Amino acid sequence: MDRQEILQASEQSLAHLRSIYSDEAETVVADARYGFISGLLKDVLKKPPIERLTLSDKIDKVVVNRWLGLPLFLAMMYGMFQFVFTLSVPFMDWIDAGFGWLSELAAGIGGWPGSLLADGIIGGVGSVLIFIPPIFLLFMAISVLEDCGYMARAAFVMDRLMHKVGLHGRSFIPMILGFGCNIPGIMACRTIENPKDRITTILINPFIPCGARLPIFVLLAGYFFAAHAGLVVFSMYIIGIIVAIIMALVFRKTLFRGVSGHFVMELPPYRLPTIKGVLVHLWERGSLFLRKAGSIIFSVVVLIWLLDYTGVLEPIGRAIAPIFAPCGFGQWQAAVSLFFGFLAKEVVVGTMGTLFAAEEEVLGGAIAAQLGWTPLVAFAFMVFCVLYVPCVAAIATIKGETNSWKWPVFAIFYTTAIAWIAATLIFQIGNLFVG
Amino acid sequence: MYIKLIQLQKERSEAMPNKPLSELRPKERGRVVKVGGEGGVHRRLLDMGLVSGSEVEVERVAPLGDPIEIKIRGYHLSLRKEEAINIQVEVE
Repeated sequence: MDRQEILQASEQSLAHLRSIYSDEAETVVADARYGFISGLLKDVLKKPPIERLTLSDKIDKVVVNRWLGLPLFLAMMYGMFQFVFTLSVPFMDWIDAGFGWLSELAAGIGGWPGSLLADGIIGGVGSVLIFIPPIFLLFMAISVLEDCGYMARAAFVMDRLMHKVGLHGRSFIPMILGFGCNIPGIMACRTIENPKDRITTILINPFIPCGARLPIFVLLAGYFFAAHAGLVVFSMYIIGIIVAIIMALVFRKTLFRGVSGHFVMELPPYRLPTIKGVLVHLWERGSLFLRKAGSIIFSVVVLIWLLDYTGVLEPIGRAIAPIFAPCGFGQWQAAVSLFFGFLAKEVVVGTMGTLFAAEEEVLGGAIAAQLGWTPLVAFAFMVFCVLYVPCVAAIATIKGETNSWKWPVFAIFYTTAIAWIAATLIFQIGNLFVG
Repeated sequence: MYIKLIQLQKERSEAMPNKPLSELRPKERGRVVKVGGEGGVHRRLLDMGLVSGSEVEVERVAPLGDPIEIKIRGYHLSLRKEEAINIQVEVE
């Protein structure tokens, strides 16, 4: 049988079914399937005479409550970040002390090998590895929310809003995953059937601040906004989300017009997450970051040290720096960090660590002293880091998921343009009030 | 005989008001009469067990007014009002 004959045969069968049941074949099949299931259940399942309110129902009475649902969702997100930051402080102190000790030990070697080890490798890698506690804790929090069933409720609560901006409730999960890392976030867009929904969700995902951008926030907010660090970091997330939403709206009105996909999905009963399940999730995502830290970041910090040691880095930075002058951070050190941030966002901090030969603990002070940054500049810089170019790995993922070079190249340019505009606006308008 | 049956069905359906599922309020129950809608949505609704004859109960409306949560076949399903409008329900 060739293709034509098969199609013809199926058309005939469909017409035959339609004439018998006066209904579409898919309806007939679904009716028959559920008819069989109901019949079977009647035979084998005994239901309690009175329907009891399950624990899941009781939880839902509060969690997706008409009035409490939205505030609880926001509180949940805020609580998640507070949990991550508060709990990670002692672990970060230990790692910091460990690397400080190692660095001193290496500096004792003397000469260029000592400098490479102490300033380059230990300084650079150390200032990135110190962020393992907050990144892993964030991944853990996301895993717990996902495994217990809250994520589906979050999509339920947020769908109206997502739908308003032309997105889909399912666009919400990739965005949530993007908080950990944009790569799984972009990959999760596969579940979105509608191509317009999918590409829009992919293109806005890089605006969701991933775990790798956390080091930048923790460093700068921690030093420049000491007492309000949590609030400032939270605001970075809000800014990323708002820009993502605005761009989704813009894309849906320009590049991708048309209707979005459906929202027919199960709200599963709440389950106690198992430790094993959470650890598996944690490891799947965390190991991606570790591998990046082990390969890309390691080679980048060594490259930067080499460029710096040979005196090539400064001219490169000075050449790009003027572009960032309107944003308030037109220093070559900032330009160099942002330039290398293209390889991986956590490298921004690693680069600063290498440039100022400073551990994370004192890096904020070094930046303030040597670059003369004010809290306003630090804020504009953080916003730039939230929005500008996705990392190399994310670009590669966008290429893979859209199967074209068009979208990754587009993503590189449009995100950077928006970052520049946003940082400039913040710095210039902020200056009117502060300066 | 056959015509009589059709008339009987007609009378019955007039006595029992049919409403789109989207117009049911929380705690209202009904029995699915007909599932309409476009290809993708239609198939998805059928796959999730919304076939004629199944009993549904609206559990709640999301905080922002959409989507809605319904109970069907002992599990919870969420769907937007614009999707629920395709489902004709015989209200109990």
